[in-house]
Amino acid sequence: MVTIKKTASRKLKLGVFVVFGTLLLITALYSIGNRQNLFGSNIKVITKFKNVNGLELGNNVRYSGINIGTVSKIQMIDDAQIIVEMIVKQSVGRYIKKDAVATISSDGLVGNMIVNIVPKESKAPPVVSGDTIQSYRKIGADDMLTTLNVTNENAALLTADLLKITTKITNGKGALGLLINDSVMARDLRLTIHELRKTSTEASKTMKEFNKIIKSIHQNENVAGVLLSDSLSGQKMKTIIDNLERSSIGIDEVTKNLNSIIKDIKNEEGTLNYLINDRDLVKNIDSTLNNIKEGTDKFNQNMEALKHNFLFRRYFKKNKNKSEQ
Amino acid sequence: MTQSLNIVKRTKAFFIEVRDLSFFAGKFFKEVFVRPFEFQELLKQCYHMGNRSLLLVGVTGFILGLVFTLQSRPTLMEFGAESWMPSMVGISIVREIGPVITALICAGRIGSGIGAELGSMRVTEQIDAMEVSGTNPFKYLVITRIMATTLMLPILIIFGDAIALLGSAIVENLKGAVSFQLYFNQVFDAIEFSDVIPATVKSFFFGFAIGLVGCYKGYNCKKGTAGVGEASNSAVVYTSMLLFVIDFIAVFLADIFFEI
Repeated sequence: MVTIKKTASRKLKLGVFVVFGTLLLITALYSIGNRQNLFGSNIKVITKFKNVNGLELGNNVRYSGINIGTVSKIQMIDDAQIIVEMIVKQSVGRYIKKDAVATISSDGLVGNMIVNIVPKESKAPPVVSGDTIQSYRKIGADDMLTTLNVTNENAALLTADLLKITTKITNGKGALGLLINDSVMARDLRLTIHELRKTSTEASKTMKEFNKIIKSIHQNENVAGVLLSDSLSGQKMKTIIDNLERSSIGIDEVTKNLNSIIKDIKNEEGTLNYLINDRDLVKNIDSTLNNIKEGTDKFNQNMEALKHNFLFRRYFKKNKNKSEQ
Repeated sequence: MTQSLNIVKRTKAFFIEVRDLSFFAGKFFKEVFVRPFEFQELLKQCYHMGNRSLLLVGVTGFILGLVFTLQSRPTLMEFGAESWMPSMVGISIVREIGPVITALICAGRIGSGIGAELGSMRVTEQIDAMEVSGTNPFKYLVITRIMATTLMLPILIIFGDAIALLGSAIVENLKGAVSFQLYFNQVFDAIEFSDVIPATVKSFFFGFAIGLVGCYKGYNCKKGTAGVGEASNSAVVYTSMLLFVIDFIAVFLADIFFEI
């Protein structure tokens, strides 16, 4: 009885062991197959390259950075064209447009080669199984190495030239050699640099002062500040300047007219010219004016005498009353 | 002169051993499909060789994955390629290290056990008694054991691989802050059918070799207790050698068929 129970228990344990082991294997195989898109519905997308850069069967296919499938076939159809067939998940395939571009690149610096499908922002219809999309050849490692080789050769030439130049400089040849090897020039250069330093110190001080001025202007502490910052004053100032401009134009015209009048007076024989230039006439006028003055005084005396005369006294009195009323 | 004679003698003995082993294998294939099938004995042997070895294989596999990852980490870090750890460890364990190490452990445990068990049965004339009693000792003792090792070793290897990867994932999780999901995703990204199928197929041959050599050595044990020890010891030595030969042939064929 005990042996039978023991045997049954052993059988159960063995069964569990075998089932779990088999399940592990099946899970592993399913995971691998799933990643290689062997299960589920897939579509076939084809592209053509001139050079596949070491792409192999089973390499990943990426679309917008997501692994969506694997390379299922690589076939050379002529000396310049290689067909690359890819199995892509159908669920993602509907997002790949017919004008998408396939490129071959490396997964990391030393990683496997991958096919990258780059989407285009267009309204092209999605690919269907068997469609061929266009390809684009990126710069491969070989191209980079070739470029690097050219750069290397150039660097070697540059180094050789630099060596020649440094040898000349060391030997004191050329302007730079003289500059480095001539002690007098070095001393002069040192002095120059010293002076330059002083100058720069002074310039720095000046700049500080200038900054202060600018600052004070900004802080509205003076006329300039007010003018720069107060828009009303600025407007008034503008009006004043406009008026001044107009006035200056008027003054200019008046000056021109005066000049022409003066010119006329000087050049032509008018009364005013005669009055200005004839001295005898001036004297005569002067004496005439004196005589008039004297006459006027005497006339005033006569008029005063008339007021006191009995014949005219009444008349003057009447006038005075009228004016008072 | 004596030395050269010795070499000739040893070489001759080796080829005779190979011939006898081949005949023994031939007899196995001749008898395996002929009734009666000792099914209960097969299950018993499967339990002893499979379930009883699981702990040893599991512990060894776990430590193997752990140590392998710990040792490889600094070198990969020097190149800034720690992210390649899961794929490197995964491929190494599934393709080669897992099957070979598990097979060697089983050769030590099961092969020597079979050699010693059958050897002692031969020495104590139990096998002769079975023949006299009308039971076919070859069918009952040899075929069941070879079948059991052939069937159980692939399962043990699968468990060993899984536990080794788990050990590696724990190290990566603790040292490199790589999540278990990411680790196993990267492992399955790297592993292909061309890695799993040849490894699984060769594990059947490993199991067959362990059972065959163990049974052959025990079944043909010389008289005396010393013969039992020798049978047990030589079963392990011959099996280990044969495992590497089979591994070489398997890798060679896998390279031809799967272009690994």
